[in-house]
Amino acid sequence: MAKQTKNTSKILTELLKLQIGNISERIEREGQTVFGGSNLLESDEIADLSVQFLQLLVALLESKDPDDDASPQFHALEMFFNNLAKQILVRGGRIEDLVRYIQFVQHTLIDTLGEDQNTKVDDARAILLYLSSLFNELVLAVFQAYLSEKERTIWAQEAELRETSTPITEIWDGVLTLPIIGTLDSSRTMIVMEALLNRIASERAVAVVMDLTGVKNIDSQVSHHLIQMVRAIQLMGADAILTGIRPDIARALTSLNIDLGNVTTRATLSDGLKEAFRRMGIQISHKAA
Amino acid sequence: MSGMAISGLHLTQIGRENFLLEPSHSLDISGSDELLVEILQRLQEAKASTLYYDLAELPLIEPRYYRWLNMLARACRAVNVAMVCIRMQPTAAFALSSYMQGSPDFAVGQGVKQ
Repeated sequence: MAKQTKNTSKILTELLKLQIGNISERIEREGQTVFGGSNLLESDEIADLSVQFLQLLVALLESKDPDDDASPQFHALEMFFNNLAKQILVRGGRIEDLVRYIQFVQHTLIDTLGEDQNTKVDDARAILLYLSSLFNELVLAVFQAYLSEKERTIWAQEAELRETSTPITEIWDGVLTLPIIGTLDSSRTMIVMEALLNRIASERAVAVVMDLTGVKNIDSQVSHHLIQMVRAIQLMGADAILTGIRPDIARALTSLNIDLGNVTTRATLSDGLKEAFRRMGIQISHKAA
Repeated sequence: MSGMAISGLHLTQIGRENFLLEPSHSLDISGSDELLVEILQRLQEAKASTLYYDLAELPLIEPRYYRWLNMLARACRAVNVAMVCIRMQPTAAFALSSYMQGSPDFAVGQGVKQ
């Protein structure tokens, strides 16, 4: 932050203490306009906001070194805006509004300084530089909070996508089913295989029925991934059964020279399950009338 | 059950004709010919019919190790012993499936068949 003399921080502190009512009122009024209108914050919260901010700013100015951005007082102020940003984002607010609010607070402090007739030009210049540097740091803290919230959202969405793209179900003791819908690209294959192989290990599955009914088209890369998945399943000591291969997919596999000689295939998911049960020695029969 | 220690691995007789091979991290497959002879000798002495190769402690099977497994499986077949690799880890299966061509020379299973 911009270096200031002990004198400038003293002048600013005194000015703040002297004008605290006026500054607090103006900040609060702006807060009501920005956050109150959209019901992001309650009136009490907005009032507390301006009081807390001024208290933290005075604490920083009265600290041993107000320029030290590693001091606990500076960290407290930074965290105050960081938490406020998270609160606003969680409640559906826009980060732009918060940044405008912070700029308004800065302008209010500068206006107060301008209205004071006793401050010398050199001191006013030093205070202005200090405030500019301080508020830049605070805006950065707000953007950091914004980015971390966005990252958290993206991570949660990715996790949800991973979960829904690998609907592995243990349909019977030791029998897993995996319907594959859409395209199997490299990254999806990795996700599906990781989930599937871990499930085989944890459930000690002996058969995996992969249903391709939802695969609309297949190319060389997808078929390669499919064969890789079958191999990996077999290496884990489980049987892989492919079902639901549509005629056009079968034709595409043939023209791609994909050999399914070592792979068990069945027409439908139901047939695949019957085959898995047969291998496990499980007999399913209708209940006698 | 009786165990026999060969440098870098442990060979245990389970049942009458089955053997369990547990490799340790110190297994050196660079001298694979001598190692192979030693293993086959033990299997033949005990009239083994199946060798279970436990892969539980191997998070990754690299091409060199895969070649060793195939070589051992083919050699076992030559002395009428079936080799079954058991308890392959998901990470190892994933890596192996990405580079292997065709079928391996060994069978795979999840554990020792009682």
